[in-house]
Amino acid sequence: MAANNQTVLRILWSRFAWRHWRLSPVSSLLLLMILALGVAAFFSIRLANRAAVASFQNFTDLITSQSDGLITAPVGDLSETILPELRQLLGNEPVNIVPVLESSAVPPRRDENEALLSRPTFQMLGLDLPALVNLDSQQDNRSGWFGSATSDSTNNSEKGFSPVLQNPLSVFISEALAKHDGLKIGSPLPLIINEHPVQLRVAGIIPNDPKQPAAPANLLIMDLPALQQLTDKTGRLDCVEFVLEDGPRRAEHWATIKKKLEAVNSPNAPRWIVSSPTDRRSSAATMTQAFRLNLTILSLLAFLVGLYLVFQGLDGAVVRRRNEIAVLRSLGVTSRQIQNAWLVEAAAIGFAGGLLGLGLGWLGAQVAVKMVGKTVNALYYANSVDSAAFNFSEAAVALILAVVASTLAGWRPAQVAANTPPAQVASRAGMTNYPGGKLLSNAGLGLALIAFGIILTWLPPLRLAGGTRLPVAAYATALCWIFGAGIFAGQTLAGLGIFFHKLKINSVTMRLASSHLRAPSGRHRLAVAGLVCAVGMTAGMAILVGSFDKTMRGWIARTFQADLYISSDGAQTASSSSRISPATWKAVVANPAVKEANVIQFLEIKLGDATTLLVGNHVAFFRDYAKPAWLSAPLNDDIFDTNRNAALALVSEAFAERFRVQRGDEINIPTPDGFRTVTIAGIFSDYGNERGSLLIESQQFKNWFGNELAASLILALKPGYDPETLRAELRTAHPGLGVFTSGFLRGEALRIFRQTFAVTYALELIGVFVAVIGLAFTMASLLWERRADLNTLRALGLRRKELATAAALEGALTAAAGLVLGIAVSFALGWLLIFRINKQTFGWTLQTDWPWLQLSALALLVLASASIAGWFVGRWAVRLPAEREE
Amino acid sequence: MKISRTILNKRNSRGVCALLLITFFSHASAAEFPATTAEGYAIPQYGKQFVFPRDHGSHPDFAIEWWYITGHLFATNGAQFGFQATFFRRALMPPGATNHSTSAAFGNDQIYLAHMALVDKTSGKFIYQEKLNRAGWDADSSTNTLDVHNGNWSLRLAPKKIGGRDIFELQGSVGADAAFVLNLWPKKPMVIFGTNGVSRKAADVQASSHYLTFPRLAVAGTLTLDETNLTVTGEAWMDHEFSSSQLGAGQVGWDWLSLQLFDGRELMAYRMRRSDGSTDPFSTVAWIDAQSIVRQIGPDKFSWIILQHWRSPKSGSKYPSLVELSAENLVTSKTENFIIQPFTADQELVGKVGGVGYWEGACRVLDENKKEIGRAYMELTGYAASLKGKF
Repeated sequence: MAANNQTVLRILWSRFAWRHWRLSPVSSLLLLMILALGVAAFFSIRLANRAAVASFQNFTDLITSQSDGLITAPVGDLSETILPELRQLLGNEPVNIVPVLESSAVPPRRDENEALLSRPTFQMLGLDLPALVNLDSQQDNRSGWFGSATSDSTNNSEKGFSPVLQNPLSVFISEALAKHDGLKIGSPLPLIINEHPVQLRVAGIIPNDPKQPAAPANLLIMDLPALQQLTDKTGRLDCVEFVLEDGPRRAEHWATIKKKLEAVNSPNAPRWIVSSPTDRRSSAATMTQAFRLNLTILSLLAFLVGLYLVFQGLDGAVVRRRNEIAVLRSLGVTSRQIQNAWLVEAAAIGFAGGLLGLGLGWLGAQVAVKMVGKTVNALYYANSVDSAAFNFSEAAVALILAVVASTLAGWRPAQVAANTPPAQVASRAGMTNYPGGKLLSNAGLGLALIAFGIILTWLPPLRLAGGTRLPVAAYATALCWIFGAGIFAGQTLAGLGIFFHKLKINSVTMRLASSHLRAPSGRHRLAVAGLVCAVGMTAGMAILVGSFDKTMRGWIARTFQADLYISSDGAQTASSSSRISPATWKAVVANPAVKEANVIQFLEIKLGDATTLLVGNHVAFFRDYAKPAWLSAPLNDDIFDTNRNAALALVSEAFAERFRVQRGDEINIPTPDGFRTVTIAGIFSDYGNERGSLLIESQQFKNWFGNELAASLILALKPGYDPETLRAELRTAHPGLGVFTSGFLRGEALRIFRQTFAVTYALELIGVFVAVIGLAFTMASLLWERRADLNTLRALGLRRKELATAAALEGALTAAAGLVLGIAVSFALGWLLIFRINKQTFGWTLQTDWPWLQLSALALLVLASASIAGWFVGRWAVRLPAEREE
Repeated sequence: MKISRTILNKRNSRGVCALLLITFFSHASAAEFPATTAEGYAIPQYGKQFVFPRDHGSHPDFAIEWWYITGHLFATNGAQFGFQATFFRRALMPPGATNHSTSAAFGNDQIYLAHMALVDKTSGKFIYQEKLNRAGWDADSSTNTLDVHNGNWSLRLAPKKIGGRDIFELQGSVGADAAFVLNLWPKKPMVIFGTNGVSRKAADVQASSHYLTFPRLAVAGTLTLDETNLTVTGEAWMDHEFSSSQLGAGQVGWDWLSLQLFDGRELMAYRMRRSDGSTDPFSTVAWIDAQSIVRQIGPDKFSWIILQHWRSPKSGSKYPSLVELSAENLVTSKTENFIIQPFTADQELVGKVGGVGYWEGACRVLDENKKEIGRAYMELTGYAASLKGKF
């Protein structure tokens, strides 16, 4: 019996399903493409996310294979004087102690006015080069570190590394960079490190550990003391890694060492934080968790729109094959067999569309990864991601999702197909008996969903470790509203039909079009629901981006009010470690043109389990020249008075949201000498970073951290001095400094912001395309059902053109109904995105902006393309004979 | 042949007793050597007055220096081991050269190499490890006393004598497999090889060293092997040698041997090997009697016969694996024969870190009747590649 079932299924597949796909290759391909687009959106975002997270690598892993653990300073950096202490502490433990210094550098600019972020950022790793040969992973390394730096072919390390140690400008580069830039041993490599233009010399190629991925093109390795000198960090280290000798029970040995290391820490002033490389990687993953999840959810929503279409496509197929179903049922094929055949077909569409989507997604990922990488670079940490590798587990998830979702979408059409009695087809009755019709005409359910969504908006975000907040309830609201409005949309369609009918327009085509809408079929309702979903999401995103744009413009105009902004020319991103030495910034500040200066220092600090930025600056300057918008304004002027602000701080909105603090609360700041307590004097809005900022007076920063390296410098000039002239003067005197006027910086900030959001415009176009294709599918199904009526109308004297126009009108009216509800939903989604999802995830309050022009353009585009699609489908339908395949 | 008896270094503050050095080199003139090499490194000088403990420490004006301990350990559970602990120093720039670096933690003027090896005489299992570090926080040597360390390995002269004797503290390990903490103290006074404080290796006067040796040290401590702690005792040999060149023109390496005979005597032999395989005339065998009196003979008074070879599967190098040393005893004027038989053939240090592969292994010493009469350590260098230019 089972064998018999299989045979029937096979015959059904080849004669019933596959034949139809072959007969209408265009619509088949279109359906596949739409599903593929959904899968591609999901898959590409997943791959890009994965690449961005993977790009946060502990670069030393490439050299050490993987260290067993590491120590970092509770705040700032470590002194190298701890090294002999560590060795003594660990006694005869067979462990390699690997000191590490990290920095960044960029090539010098080619053009004085070149755009920001247009140069690559190199990650520089300072390691004790001779000692690397002690690592087990390096001993398997046949190419060695120093063989390439010397003509001595015997790879004599002692001889080989001597020139490297003697030349403090020696640098090791990756094979990828050597190939890309045509660099060889001895080639010069000009870079800006901190504010110093330096000409490094390629001393060799970073040898690849066969067990590790190849060194990325942006990784440069120098001898540690040489990098210390170049970065003005003599005697300082960023971390110390511990690599145990190979052997059994390695984890236990590390546990013993960890215990010894932690034993010397006092609870009030810990000397170092002991962690594992896994902790470090997972903290990077946590840092970007919300950002990545948001992208994934957006891509899933795109997938959801795709599913509407699969549903519509399969439903259309049921309609077109109704006769055959009847014949098959008459021949004894059971309803179960028919249902199975449909499900197999739906799964096959899912599989084929999924496969196509994987290919498209991989291509899309190569574009998306650059966008994701740039954002991660700007907001979180430096990464070099420029391509996304194909990942089989992600591919499997995407494919399974496609097959399961497609099968689920085909479930109702399959049931309808299976339950179609032969007699019904013969009588052509029940043509409006549409799958899901009941559900879609249940306006009450739609309203209930919308109401439930409103209730959900009161729920707070889900708080995870590391300060991550996920607006789970807000996402659920979005789904409720999209579905609720989709269900409710049928009522709008009927209303529109009645409205046009009542207008009594003396036009056969109009009457014909509106007559079908007065009591809309389930199929109409589904098409409208699909449109509501697509338009709602697309326009909602447009509102978010518009609001973001407006807010940023205001913030940028307000914030950049001083005359000149100076940073190391090597500092391109938020995560840059390039600094300006005290000698240089003091020389700049002493320029006679300078009226006031703000020397900005910052440090990443950990409060609880979340990292944030501690900023040292002149708070009164910040008030006067950054004109902060206060969410909680300081109650008095103490915070702006250097005599009274020693224990006060300002925090950004993102900080307040993240750490759930308000004005008057106290914060314990970790410093090398233990915790210092400050009171929050005010909260200002800020869009610079989502981890939050804590502003204290420069003097405090210097007192607590004993360091005067500046991250940037802001200058206000005396009247009569021209910023451009001083800019040119400073650039000549300090070619390693990036000096920008406020005008240039405002323009660049907006350009970069808009570039980041450019992809949303592409998404909007895709949304419209998908929605209109869905409508075309629906129109084709409806007209196919009505082909006998069309023939009758033709016989009654209606011309083809009139019938096509009627179809175009029907399509346009359906689109109009979808648009009305869709735009309404977009307003709601826009509000949700701005005041819930964005606020809960990033802690930024945005000013609302309704981009009317863009929304109108979207509406026109949807209406026009729906009309055109309807007209073409109508022309196709009126050519159909009363009974014909496809 | 001129035979001289020299009493050295009576002022030795560390109580090294008077040493008698008998030298045989008729051509070993006491003429002044140049003070430095062309690069500016010091050249050993005749008549150097050694001051201890300072001269147990480092001599950075010389290009090359090593502290070399080899020995035999006996665990309370009956297990027997051979061990090697070597600390090398190599200058990267001559004294007074311009140095751009000011970093004390990461120096660029000296480099330290160190080797630890352990062989289980019963199973023949041989393990070893090499370390290389620049002068600085993780490797250094004192110029005041013996205090040299490299990573977690160290060799120090204890600041205070215990029971009236110097104690050397050795801490070492071999990967995660073995670790040892040993105390060593002289059973016999220190000897200084060569003529008037200079041990020559070739006709080229630069190829010479100051060569100080404790020929028999008592050892006691703990050996942790595969996570088991063993209490061990034994005997060891310690060399301290510093020079600016160890090889002369035409030489490719050397065979070195330290014999500790059960009758209380020791022998040290170095055979400077020329590129054609022949023995350089500056090769020597030194007899050390029970009172640490040294009598050295030249290659005309000893022979070195290779009875067997072994090819390393790791490096492909071919090393002597059974050697017969015949040397004339100047006291008895008789030639004595010693068969040097390694406990296991595979005691090669491949040189992945330092770039110099060699064989250094624990051996038993047999007489003509195959009777075990002592223990030895043998070093065979220049078989993997010529050492010319490296030492």
